[in-house]
Amino acid sequence: MNEISRPTLTRRAMLAATAATLTIPKAYAQSPAEVKVGLLVPLSGLYARPGAVMKMGGEMAVDHINKAGGVKALGGAKLKLVLLDCGDTVEKAKNAAQRMVAQEPDLVVASAAYLSSFTLAVTEVTERAQLPVLTLSYSDLITDRGFKYVFQTSATAASQARQSLPLLMKLAQSASGKLPKTVAIITDNTGSSIASAKAMREGLLKENGLDLVMDETFTPPLSDATPLIQKVRAVKPDLLFFLPTVISDGKLVLEKMNEFGLSQGRVPTISFGIAIAEPDILQTINPSLLQGVITCVGSWATKGHEELIAELKTRYNEPWMTQNAISTYGDMWLIKDALEKAGKADKAAVAEALRTMDGGPSKYYPGGILKFDDKGRRVDAEMTVVQWQNGIPVTIFPQKLAMAEPLWPKR
Amino acid sequence: MPMLLRSLAPTLIAALIYACLALFVTNSYYQLTLTLVLVWASFGLSWNLLSGYTGLISFGHAAFFGLGAYTTALGQIYFDITPWLLIPAAAVIGGVAGLLVGFPTFRLRGHYFALAMLAYPLALLYVFEWLGYQELTLPIKRDNPFAYMQFSDPRVYTLVALVMLLMIVAITRAVERSRFGMALVAIKQNEAAAEAAGIDTLTWKLRSIALSGAIAGAVGAFYAVVLLVVTPQSVFGMLVSAQALTVSMFGGVGSVWGPLIGAAVLIPVAEILNAELSARLPGIQGVIFGVAIIIVILVAPEGVFWKVRDRWIKRRAAAVPAPVAEPASAPHVIPFVAPAKPATRPDWRDGKILLSVRGLSKSFGGLKAVQDVGFEIREGMILGIIGPNGAGKTTLFNLLNGFSLPNAGGIWLDGVNMVGRKPHELCQAGVGRTFQVMRPFARMSVRDNVRVGAYVRAANEEEARTFADDAVARVGLTAVAGKVAAELTTKELRLMELARALAGKPRLLLLDETLAGLGHGEAEEVVVVVQRLAREGVTIAIIEHTMQSMVRLVDRFLVLDHGAVLADGDPASVTRNPRVIEAYLGKKWVNRAQA
Repeated sequence: MNEISRPTLTRRAMLAATAATLTIPKAYAQSPAEVKVGLLVPLSGLYARPGAVMKMGGEMAVDHINKAGGVKALGGAKLKLVLLDCGDTVEKAKNAAQRMVAQEPDLVVASAAYLSSFTLAVTEVTERAQLPVLTLSYSDLITDRGFKYVFQTSATAASQARQSLPLLMKLAQSASGKLPKTVAIITDNTGSSIASAKAMREGLLKENGLDLVMDETFTPPLSDATPLIQKVRAVKPDLLFFLPTVISDGKLVLEKMNEFGLSQGRVPTISFGIAIAEPDILQTINPSLLQGVITCVGSWATKGHEELIAELKTRYNEPWMTQNAISTYGDMWLIKDALEKAGKADKAAVAEALRTMDGGPSKYYPGGILKFDDKGRRVDAEMTVVQWQNGIPVTIFPQKLAMAEPLWPKR
Repeated sequence: MPMLLRSLAPTLIAALIYACLALFVTNSYYQLTLTLVLVWASFGLSWNLLSGYTGLISFGHAAFFGLGAYTTALGQIYFDITPWLLIPAAAVIGGVAGLLVGFPTFRLRGHYFALAMLAYPLALLYVFEWLGYQELTLPIKRDNPFAYMQFSDPRVYTLVALVMLLMIVAITRAVERSRFGMALVAIKQNEAAAEAAGIDTLTWKLRSIALSGAIAGAVGAFYAVVLLVVTPQSVFGMLVSAQALTVSMFGGVGSVWGPLIGAAVLIPVAEILNAELSARLPGIQGVIFGVAIIIVILVAPEGVFWKVRDRWIKRRAAAVPAPVAEPASAPHVIPFVAPAKPATRPDWRDGKILLSVRGLSKSFGGLKAVQDVGFEIREGMILGIIGPNGAGKTTLFNLLNGFSLPNAGGIWLDGVNMVGRKPHELCQAGVGRTFQVMRPFARMSVRDNVRVGAYVRAANEEEARTFADDAVARVGLTAVAGKVAAELTTKELRLMELARALAGKPRLLLLDETLAGLGHGEAEEVVVVVQRLAREGVTIAIIEHTMQSMVRLVDRFLVLDHGAVLADGDPASVTRNPRVIEAYLGKKWVNRAQA
């Protein structure tokens, strides 16, 4: 047995040697007038696509900031984006975060990490390393841990649950002139859909004066949507909440609604989350079927972002600008503002600047102001309502951010 | 114990070097990798303890791992208990879960077992999502971090993990060297043979899964401490179970070094690939990693450890000049004419009835394999059970030692009805057997193969070794006792099987076509051994379909045809019995024989 251990030891020794060489601090080769900003997002695996879009947003913003003269308080220092892949598991995200704080000691701030559970793992590391992190993740837990170095730019999940129905009520009233009264729910029985439907049934609907007239739960995959849509036609609800997880189910229901003459916004159909408004969905569902479908999301490209949308299209061939792009774009500008306020490229100073800043109305995140509360949540963060119109999901509400009039039945 | 310590020495040296390495690495990222290597090595060892040694592949070890992780997370969040206590608690939970999982699942074999195991973590994943534990984080302890395992110096994590790994290695080693390990390896190589050798396979498997689950639980609990975030996907996910399989299979299954080698290579390589390539060519790291694993599996299908070991042994064997000729290890080459039975052998007719069979019947659907068979075996006799192919001999044997249940009739051993007892219970009661199709434990040495059979009588390891050596000597295999079973000839395998049955000191030995597949001279050698055993007072029942070599060997014949007793008597009368001749040779031979 003694001899067998030898190859192992050699391998470990080799590993050690590699590790040792890599540990030697790198010489500071870059010009001092450069500020390193981390972007830790999924670039490989299941979530590579949203990660890639976040990267586009980040790159565009850094180019714009640098072209406009960089960080003036630092003598026009340029921002430099340091990309890190957080992969598709919590362990990989933690590893990437550890790599970021260990390997990039001159990083002053970062934006991370798309999925809530990744952001949680990443910020456990960055909190201990005292590196400030901006995130678009929703989970309330992120800013419920008493952390000092994480800043949530979107409304949290709990806040979104409270906001979305009143927002839709307001939208309905402004579009049709009267408040909706009846609601139908079609949901599949997967975890997150059930959670959303449950919250509505157990209070949210009543709080908003809505009457549940139809409540159907199905198990994916759906084989025939006819009975469901027949019921919808019979009860004629003012709002239909449709919460599918599997795209094929969504397709089936939308096709059936089209067949029954209920599509094109004739029955306002509402989903939650970003999945139904991602460009990928067009690979499966014809845009004409999606016409009129509404979703509430934490952020979206809105009025005033037209040039950005155009640039994203020409530079990256992205058909429209989702939350992932615009939010990351906004993060870079927020970082620039914090650097201006801090006056030095130092992570503690940037964190302090983010905690104390009051940057006025938000330009790239919906609603509220560029200010964070004690927990690190952006003050008065709102949501956007997005509707499929002519093959593109566009912001239709709140009105000051709307890029188009809502398609809504005027009864 | 000193043996155990000596076996741990290489591990301790490796651990010492690893600890030194960890102390000099100040980069927190490399340190995290060093910690994770140990975590996955420990998890691989846990998997190895069940699947590596018993051969029952578990695709569901994440179940225990995840329960451990959630124990730490929930225990700290809701009860503010420190992980120092929660890790042992997680081990208990993992162990209990192992028993709960094992009890129903061990009814299944092979692929069915593997697939059933897959279901447990998947089910738990949804249960924990449904319970609302989609995302848990271990609360940060700014005041007293050490008490909650939140070390500010990342090196401490590595050292704690190292201590844990050493404990697991010590446990694995202790198991490996005891009858526990022998039982597991025996089950892996051949579950039926293990049962026949007196091993209570279900009990040992349950012990193994409980221990394995306990270790996995503790490792999962520590993993939660390292990651600080627990989600159902990250601890119950398919990738977690797969990680245990990957490191073990890469390194070598069924050895303590396998998972260590696997983790020490794969985890850093994956991480280095991630670090170096993922930002530039996202996804390429997975491709390279996958291809590398495929190549290694193709080159070393049993894992790196076994490949290296086999090659090393071969090289050493080549260095030592091969023995000039076969030593006279086959001294039993005897003239064709068998010697007369020695006068010293007591007359079996005086022996008391050891085994009594009455009205035994067994049918498979419409086929009546054994019908109303009855006979007696007296102490000291050699009973030959013969009959043409398909006469029901092997079915009768399987009924005799509990591998299948009769439809009617009874089997009395010393006056006790044994119907319904499991094979290992019959073995304990003194019935040993060999198999028609040989069932050696191929990777084990002859001596170890035989030792497996000794535990049923031996009080301790020492005695088991003595019994085994004694049995090996009795069949004349002492010269090859150190060889692994895979290198033996058919004759040697037959004799080894005989020795394995003998090691359990059986009072009745059932030999199933022990002479099948042997050349003429070889058969004679085995016959001599059997005769010698009979002389030593072992009662033997032997099945054959050829009468020739049996005539000189047995005291009494039981002839079966179409499942029923055709004749029962001493060799001389049976060989002249017209019905026997007819069954074997056809009608016209009857006339000729009588002529």
